[in-house]
Parts: sequence; C-alpha cells; structure tokens
Amino acid sequence: MNITDGQSHKERPPVRKTFETEIQQLKDEMLLLGSMVEQQIIGAVEALKKRDIEASRHIKEIDLQVNAKRYAIEEQVMIVIATQQPMAHDLRLLASILEVSGELERMGDYAKGIATVSIRIGDQPLLKPLIDIPRMAQIGTDMLHRALTAFINEDVESARTIPKQDDEVDGLYTQVYHELMMFVIQDPKTIERANWLLWVAHNLERVADRVSNICERTIFTATGEMKELESNSD
Amino acid sequence: MDMEIAESVFQPPSNAETRAKVIVKNLTVYYSKFRALNEINLTAYDKKITAIIGPSGCGKSTLLRSFNRMNDLTPGCRMEGEITLEGENVLSPSMDVVSVRRRVGMVFQRPNPFPKSIYDNVAYGPRLYGIRHRSDLDEIVEHSLKSAALWDEVKDKLNQSGLSISGGQQQRLCIARALAVEPEIILMDEPASALDPISTLRIEELMQELKKNYTIIIVTHNMQQAARVSDYTAMMMIDDSRAGRMIEYDATNIIFTRPKDKRTEDYVTGRFG
Repeated sequence: MNITDGQSHKERPPVRKTFETEIQQLKDEMLLLGSMVEQQIIGAVEALKKRDIEASRHIKEIDLQVNAKRYAIEEQVMIVIATQQPMAHDLRLLASILEVSGELERMGDYAKGIATVSIRIGDQPLLKPLIDIPRMAQIGTDMLHRALTAFINEDVESARTIPKQDDEVDGLYTQVYHELMMFVIQDPKTIERANWLLWVAHNLERVADRVSNICERTIFTATGEMKELESNSD
Repeated sequence: MDMEIAESVFQPPSNAETRAKVIVKNLTVYYSKFRALNEINLTAYDKKITAIIGPSGCGKSTLLRSFNRMNDLTPGCRMEGEITLEGENVLSPSMDVVSVRRRVGMVFQRPNPFPKSIYDNVAYGPRLYGIRHRSDLDEIVEHSLKSAALWDEVKDKLNQSGLSISGGQQQRLCIARALAVEPEIILMDEPASALDPISTLRIEELMQELKKNYTIIIVTHNMQQAARVSDYTAMMMIDDSRAGRMIEYDATNIIFTRPKDKRTEDYVTGRFG
C-alpha cells in the first residue's frame, strides 16, 4: 500500500509551472555567466602570452558585463524568493545560485587582475615563456566547466571528485613559484617582472580553489549537507 | 504491505530539548467502518509549538480533535491506541472528559465568541468550574485578555458584545476564553485562516508569547505559517485506503529546508507526486 495524496499523479500538469520556468531561467543565466568567466580567464592568459594589450583591455571590459550579470542574477533570485516563497530543495538551490554567482564573479575579477598585469608589463618582454601558467588556466577552466555541469545536474559524485584536481594546479603553482624565485636570485633586477607573473599564477590558483566552493554548493543543493570539501593537499 | 513510512516519524526530533507533554501512540480513528487515521505516532513537547501539515482530508483535524476527545461528539467515532497527557491516557474510558477539555483548550478556524459580552465570554469557563466571586472573575478576565494581547483594545468596553469587535479581535477573545480555565495545552485548528494578514501575524506573535506557558498544537494549511511559528512539524498524508498517516516528523527548520521524505519535499515545495 502506497501513501499518496489520494489523487492520481499520472496525468496532472506540473503544479508550479511558472516557478519552475523561473528557476530554469536562473540556471541558464548562471551557466551563461560561467561560460563568460571561462572565456575571460582563457582570454586573459592568451592576451598575456601573446602580449596583446588591446585584448587585455577587452578582458577588463568584459568584467563589467560579468559583474552586471551577477547582480542581475542576484536580483532575480531575490524576486523569486519574495514572490514564490521557496522551501526545501528549491530554497537550497536558490541560495546556492546566489553563492555560485558570487564565486563566478570573483573568478572574473581574477581574470581582470591578469589583464591588469598584462597591461602593466606593456612593452617589456616576459621573464620566461609561458608554459605552466596557460596549463593552470586550462585545468582551472576545465574544472570550472565540469563543476557547473555537476551543479546543474546535481551530480554529487562528480562534485566530490572535481576538487581533487586542485592538487595539479597547486603543483604547477609551486613549480612556477620556484622557477620565478630562481630568476630573482640570479638577477635581483628581475624582481618586478617575476612578481607580475607570480601574481598571475596566484590568481589562477585561486580560481581552482573557488571551483571547490561551487562543488560544495552542488552537494548542499542535492543533499542539504553543508561542509567544506578538502582536496588531497589539505 | 509496503508501508513507506519515514523512519524519522518514530524518532524524537533531532533537536528535542524539552520533555514530552503529549505522546500519541499507534492512534487509529474510525468513523463507523471508515478508518480516518491509521497508526499515528507523535510526541508534542512541553512549551513548544507543534504544527501538523498535510493536504486536505488527510486527517489533521481528526488528529487534533482526538487530543481533547472532541471526536467523542461525532456519532460512530471509535479510537484505538493511546494519547498520554503527562502519563495519563486521555482515551481511557475512565478518564473524565470534562477535565481533559479543561486541560486541553481549543481555538477554531472561525472566531466563535458566544453572543454575550466580552467579559462574559472570558468568564464563561471559570463560572462553569464554580468560580463565583466577582473579584476573582475580574482578575481572571483581565489576566486572560492580557495574555491574549487583547486587554488594551477592549478594557473600556468589556460589557459590549463579543461579536461587536473585529474578526482578529474575536479570535484573540476566543484564545482568552480558552486561557481563562488555565489549560496546559492549546489546540489551534487553522486559527488564522479566516483573518486578514495583519491579524494573522498578530495571532502568530501571540503564539510565541503563549508558548512560554503553554504547549501548542496547530493545524494549518499555510506552510509559511507553519514554518514561521512552529518548533516541530508533523507531515500527514492519506494512504490508498484514504486513511491518514504520519509520514515525517522533525524539527520545523529541517522539514522546510531538508526534509527526508520525498512526499514531504513535494508537499512543502508545492509539487505533488
């Protein structure tokens, strides 16, 4: 004997169609924000590598659009909470969308930081050819992409494994750090140029850290469990 | 027989910090041959607000009316199981029904003051229990109206009809009338569903005051209200035989943020099935 609400569930249309459409739109907007940020990070590192100052300026302009989209999502979440009074899973999802859009916007700021470095370097040659730094950007954005897919699908299993890839990014960061330190030790006049690249590597390392925060929200949305995910290196 | 009852129904709520006031054990209620409630288990905690939610016809009101034996008034009604109030079985044939109803007061959906003065409405119960001295009655009336947050609005018109005041005031008058006989438990059956939003919020605020001294059990269709006012929430549904069952019981903040049972989730998020 099953407990039901006493009516047949089969032929009924969804009770909260408007609400569900609003939630779907928010998810779409969040994914759009995510892909803007992915492009922004990859683009910022590309521009730095190619020494394309114009492209770096463009990355800084994109950041304004990223910020605007984040505020638009935040406002829309507030409107949906106020008008639909979400509960349980819906409430967790909306709270998580707020949190994740904030994380994405901060990742956009890191890309903007990289663009700023590129503009400051200006005509000067890079201290070293960029190999590990683009690799960090590649892994970080790949993690971000998969984390957002897991968020939308509420894929708890993936959300638990994605942050472990942070170790790779951390490893590359350490490598870049030691390399740059060697330049500085050999020729202290390189300190400023080394510092710029260290700043870039640090920003990319932070991107991967924030991916873990998105994965935590995926688990929270799906299960209600709120706790910090630890990568292997923690 | 596949009874999909969440385990949490039989567990104490996760943040139970007070003692049990009323314990419902395997309560089954029949109206003639029709089984209205099936094996209900529930514990209401002392000086806490317990909300009972669930779709129409799931037996919420039948359960509420069992606590003070109001179901006795329905012909053909038969109750099995146990409801213990401070260790005494309310359903026992030897239990004095009048005393149960004094200890367990009730407030209904529509305000139902007697067609008497405000004063006489509140003094009605105490008089019934033999209090005659005017000064004693004055004291009870004032204290009850103050507890129901109505005194300041009616102190100058105690002799006016209880029906002459607004709907929200009438409902608080009914609460004052229930408080006048010093109950231990107050049952509320949709106490604000006939009231405007401001009167509703007043009743909800009043409930927070009342729970300092009383145990409250409220039936409500308004989920936001259950979420706002209660400490614990019990979720009911009907099974295939149309009998009411308890499917989940937990702290209110858990029921509305991360319920364990899918059917509770569907109900509180407004999606059935």
